[in-house]
Amino acid sequence: MSMVFDEYGRPFIILKEQQAKARVKGLEAQKSNILAAKAISSILRTSLGPKGMDKMLVDADGDVAITNDGATILERMEVQHQVAKLLVELSQSQDNEIGDGTTGVVVLAGALLSQAEKLLDRGIHPVRIAEGYEAACEVAVKTLADIGDVIEFTKEDTSPLISTAETTLNSKIINVNRSKMAKIAVDAVLSVADLDRKDVNFDMIKMEGKPGGRLEDTELVSGIVLDKEMSHSQMSKEITDVKCCLLTCPFEPPKPKTKHKLDIDSKEAYEKLYKHEQEYFTKMIQQVKDSGANLVICQWGFDDEANHLLLQNKLPAIRWVGGVELELIAIATGARIIPRFSELSEEKLGTAGKVREITFGTTEEKMVIIEDCKNSNAVTCIVRGGNKMIVEEAKRSLHDAMCVVRNLIKDNRVVYGGGSAEIACSLSVSAHADTVMGTDQYAIRAFADALDDIPLALAENCGLSPIEELANVKSKQLESKNPFLGVDCTQAGTNDMKKQGVFETLIGKQQQLLLATQVVKMVLKIDDVITMGNYQ
Amino acid sequence: MMGNMAPGMGRPGVILLREGTDTSQGKPQLISNINACAAVADAVKSTLGPRGMDKLVFDGRKVTISNDGATIMKLLEIAHPAAKTLVDISMSQDAEVGDGTTSVVLLASSMLKEIKPFIEEGVHPQVVIRAMRVATKMAVQRVKDLQVPFEGEKGREMLLKCAGTALNSKLISRHQDLFAPMVVDAVSGLKDDLSDLNLIGVKKVPGGEVRQSFLVRGVAFKKTFSYAGFEQMTKKFSNPKILLLNVELELKSEKENAEVRITDPDQYQSIVDAEWNVIYEKLDKCIESGANIVLSKLPIGDLATQYFADKGLFCAGRVEVGDIVRVAKATGGQVQTSTNGLSAEILGKCGAFEEKQVGDERFNLFTECPSEHTATIVLRGGSEQFIEESHRSIHDAIMVVKRSLKSRAVVAGGGAIEMEVSKYLRSESMKIEGKGQLIMQAFAKALEIVPRQLADNAGFDATDILNALRKKHFHEEGGTWFGVDIDTGSICDTFKSNVWEPSINKINSLSAAGEAACVILSIDETVRNPKSEQPGAGGGGGGPPGGGRGGGGGGMSGMMGNAMDIANNGQRSGRLGKGVKYMKGRGGG
Repeated sequence: MSMVFDEYGRPFIILKEQQAKARVKGLEAQKSNILAAKAISSILRTSLGPKGMDKMLVDADGDVAITNDGATILERMEVQHQVAKLLVELSQSQDNEIGDGTTGVVVLAGALLSQAEKLLDRGIHPVRIAEGYEAACEVAVKTLADIGDVIEFTKEDTSPLISTAETTLNSKIINVNRSKMAKIAVDAVLSVADLDRKDVNFDMIKMEGKPGGRLEDTELVSGIVLDKEMSHSQMSKEITDVKCCLLTCPFEPPKPKTKHKLDIDSKEAYEKLYKHEQEYFTKMIQQVKDSGANLVICQWGFDDEANHLLLQNKLPAIRWVGGVELELIAIATGARIIPRFSELSEEKLGTAGKVREITFGTTEEKMVIIEDCKNSNAVTCIVRGGNKMIVEEAKRSLHDAMCVVRNLIKDNRVVYGGGSAEIACSLSVSAHADTVMGTDQYAIRAFADALDDIPLALAENCGLSPIEELANVKSKQLESKNPFLGVDCTQAGTNDMKKQGVFETLIGKQQQLLLATQVVKMVLKIDDVITMGNYQ
Repeated sequence: MMGNMAPGMGRPGVILLREGTDTSQGKPQLISNINACAAVADAVKSTLGPRGMDKLVFDGRKVTISNDGATIMKLLEIAHPAAKTLVDISMSQDAEVGDGTTSVVLLASSMLKEIKPFIEEGVHPQVVIRAMRVATKMAVQRVKDLQVPFEGEKGREMLLKCAGTALNSKLISRHQDLFAPMVVDAVSGLKDDLSDLNLIGVKKVPGGEVRQSFLVRGVAFKKTFSYAGFEQMTKKFSNPKILLLNVELELKSEKENAEVRITDPDQYQSIVDAEWNVIYEKLDKCIESGANIVLSKLPIGDLATQYFADKGLFCAGRVEVGDIVRVAKATGGQVQTSTNGLSAEILGKCGAFEEKQVGDERFNLFTECPSEHTATIVLRGGSEQFIEESHRSIHDAIMVVKRSLKSRAVVAGGGAIEMEVSKYLRSESMKIEGKGQLIMQAFAKALEIVPRQLADNAGFDATDILNALRKKHFHEEGGTWFGVDIDTGSICDTFKSNVWEPSINKINSLSAAGEAACVILSIDETVRNPKSEQPGAGGGGGGPPGGGRGGGGGGMSGMMGNAMDIANNGQRSGRLGKGVKYMKGRGGG
């Protein structure tokens, strides 16, 4: 940092560790921040759209992830730069809230910033640019609401939901099986959705991935899947009319929590103790039996002694079931969690239609599936695939699709994809720009230009000539006043996205614009960067 | 190197202090202090006003992006002893008013800058200080005379405008329409004494869009850590009774160091049972009290969770202290430290309780509380940084509203009040004899820094605007409230355009800035113990007197670099540059 000097030319310290601090000020700071943000967005740009490419990310441990999900890419990249991190958070926040459009939001922010850079060069004040963007964003969000369409669906007719899910899956690696995957996503969401309250509890959907098998083998199980096996290999593998007890106490003699010491001073006492222990085991088993349970699910382990007794008494058991899963089972089966054996009773048991243990291919891996539960709204997707990477990516893609379906249930308004919504917004924003006085006009127009970047990137990624395609579509939209015209990425022969059935949720799209504008304002407003060490 | 050391080679200096002690005194010391303050103010001045910019400060661990003067000053870690005074006044402004933390620093440094020529020409600092004190007093009095008092029914409108003005310069300025009413509602919900701002909780939920932020009239806090069985609890109550505890509800040993000796294996079970009975007894007492919701500062274990779930209660353990206190205030409950002797009086009541999903998190909401003393603002935003800054801005706005509720008088912002006070001081100065006249004029000129900087930050020609303002204030009727018009780059009646600030804000910043300037002017010697110096900090500055020459040389070249730097930096630091050059001339000669 720069120094201050006194009468005699002696420099003096104003800040602590002044020498170690680096400072970038003014336009230079904005430029360097914009550069960093643009670098991030240019990485994601090629992942946009149905023909978007994947990224391969290798982390420090050598684990490989292949994905084209924007939020995942950015998260795994471990971005260091402070401003670039803002974009990472931007993408994550879109992911948390909407679950889809994580790439688009970053590409849009990058486009807005590169437009802003041009305006900065012309000497427009950064805050004015940001304010212009905000004004433009309001117009665009309103336009989206105007061109939005309402999708009607019922529990019986889910085809609109499925086609939305398909749009989302289009850009993913699993797009070969998109119709099946889309159906799984829709079924999963609908089974846990509360259509009256328009609420979807995602905690009720579990996702289990097992490498092996084919992607087509992915299935949706209504019930809960536990990545566990029966505690003894000879226990029965399939139980019907299950009455299960959920225990949070181990199958062993109870221990007081207070520090204790048992003094054994005679042989008799020792034998008594041994007898007591044996009694505990038999009593426990008896209590379970008496309650009428035919399956034991335990949060803790039990030793061989207990295991053996359980087997003898024909009580199948599952051990080491985590707290969260235990809770899920409790909700699904209507069971109460039992903290000690003496509280076992029939009404505290849970019921399920069927519990079975399944094995996968030739591997040793087993899973327990609890089906037909009493209050069954919990579902589990078992995702299969050729290798771990595919399974992981399929899980992410399915999650994205489910998020989209959820959003539709919450709010059934949609806009059409393929860049059509962006083009429509761009047109309305630039029309609005002409009515605005002063420098804001430039910023608003720049916003419109930035919106064009999305269809441009889409066309580019599909191998089309981007400028030509955009110009075509734009003029067509203007001519026919049809806001559903977009970039024909899949060469389906029509530009009308409504006919192609490519749509996205309205809230998702609106959120994209709003979030991107917010972050851009934040970046533009920084004119001074003070850091310890070097600021790259 | 040292001011009092003769430059001649022959005469050795008398060493009074321990070797390495850095002393400087007299006029040069004063000047260098003033320069240090100018440098600090330089760092924050661009954040002023609606077109102010943000600073990104990275301290090696954490990033802060802010536009709040006090926050930036704190993060800069200022080490210069005199310049620290500025940090202090910024902090005190923050604590006292909450807003105007940048302008107070600017005012102080501007005053010092205007006084500097007088010091250089040999006016005694005490004379300056005396005159400054008078000027400060008059300025404060003038603000008090000019302030527009609140009228009862218009109160809310006034508060809204004040909150809006406070938010103007912030990142969330576009969303004033959302936040200003939110803040005003939150503050007006408080009891009359307004003393405890902790009663307004601000919760941050990353994700979502800033406009999804909302106000809860009541208490809201994040779902706490929960055990298995939590999901089976009832999550919605109307008219629930709330039991607040500071008790651990877990199956555990009652006494830390106790040890049980069991001699007979038959007794074993009885010990186990005894422990269970202790916890069950506690749980039963909670239930018997008639409560529907049990909240505890300490953990509520899985056993208790499941037990409560069975009985249809809701419980949450490890609730933060602030949240518990807010719940207690809102619902009228009392926090209990034991489960013995629970009675109906100590239970809190509220109209509705619900667990609700907000973005990724789940929140416990207590609403329709009987004594509406608390409010919670839930902030949303695209990134953590964004929310952090929103939080700071909201804090500022809350403080401003609180102060205006208390002082119930406002003045117009946008530099209008400063111009008017400046005009007043200028005309009053003519009535004073002696040096005081000049000092008061300098003080008046110093006040103009606020409109000047506002215009500068917006990228307008500050001199033009300042001249227009002077003309308006001096020569035209009804020009009292004319300030900088940020939108068009001219001047306007800021009172009419709703740029309102609580007058206490201005009074506080004027007097704080005046005080600080006086303090800095009264210092004529700094003695710095060598050990307090950071190792390696400052080129030749901290060196021992023996190495003075070499150090000085280093300083010189550094200074040259700095002068170049300033030349390249252009207008903004131009003033400082001139000062340095001027000093160099004197020091060298």
